[in-house]
Amino acid sequence: MIKKFIHQFASPKTYLFQVDRAYPYIFYTSLSIYLVALFWGLFLTSEDFVQGNSYRIIYLHVPASFISQSLYLAMAFASAIFLIWKVKLSAYLVRSIAPIGAITTFIALVSGAIWGIPTWGTWWAWDARIISTLILFIMYLGLISLHDSFTDNEKADKFLAILVIVGSVNIPIIKMSVEWWSTLHQTASITVTEKPAIDPSMLYPLFGSIIGFTGIVVCLVILSSKLQILKREKNKSWVKDYV
Amino acid sequence: MFNFKFNSISDAIFMQSSNGQYHGLYVWSVVLIVLLSISITFLVYKVQIKNIGKKIK
Repeated sequence: MIKKFIHQFASPKTYLFQVDRAYPYIFYTSLSIYLVALFWGLFLTSEDFVQGNSYRIIYLHVPASFISQSLYLAMAFASAIFLIWKVKLSAYLVRSIAPIGAITTFIALVSGAIWGIPTWGTWWAWDARIISTLILFIMYLGLISLHDSFTDNEKADKFLAILVIVGSVNIPIIKMSVEWWSTLHQTASITVTEKPAIDPSMLYPLFGSIIGFTGIVVCLVILSSKLQILKREKNKSWVKDYV
Repeated sequence: MFNFKFNSISDAIFMQSSNGQYHGLYVWSVVLIVLLSISITFLVYKVQIKNIGKKIK
């Protein structure tokens, strides 16, 4: 019954029509939230007493880092659905999320490197958090190249799904790296169990930037998945009607 | 909480901190990189979708 439900709901055709309707609402809402949060964080919050104004990079770096890891978890979840229930859409989503994950990880790495210059005195350190994030970036690129190197898409999807699940071991390593090893990178300022270590005036715009950036990235995933579906289903009659 | 923390546009651009260092270059370059990366990605996907749509038609 679950299998039947998933297959009905997750047909590429249904998915495309649904996301097309939702896309403008997600895009404009998240863009507004993100721009307001950035304005708030960049101009209206006080400077940090240790880092000065350089701390304002937090409103760009943290959302990118958060999303880069969340996207990998989403890929692992979609891979599991594909392997268990053979849902075609999940395989398309795994391939579609990978380039967006690579871009957000790139943003996280570059923004972190630039932030490191005024705060650590160096743009790069062989630190556990930075290395594990670099590995995530390389993994995203590797998964894209690997999938595209296959001529048989079905084989590629299966191989990719297995590798994504195996590679998901890196996500808890990234998360816990600042606890397990002595790192230059600070420990998490926001945790589920403890009170945030950031003043509310700095925290609210941070939440706003995370929510807004997440929405924008969801829109990118929608576009990427749309492209993937059109490429893979181009010979189907409904695609001709759709375009 | 909702007051501007900079007295002028040039203050906001240079972002001089109380330790005397100017942090505007770092902050604004990150803003530029993020906005450019996201905008270019949107543009690339929009163009690719348009092109494949034309091919399918």
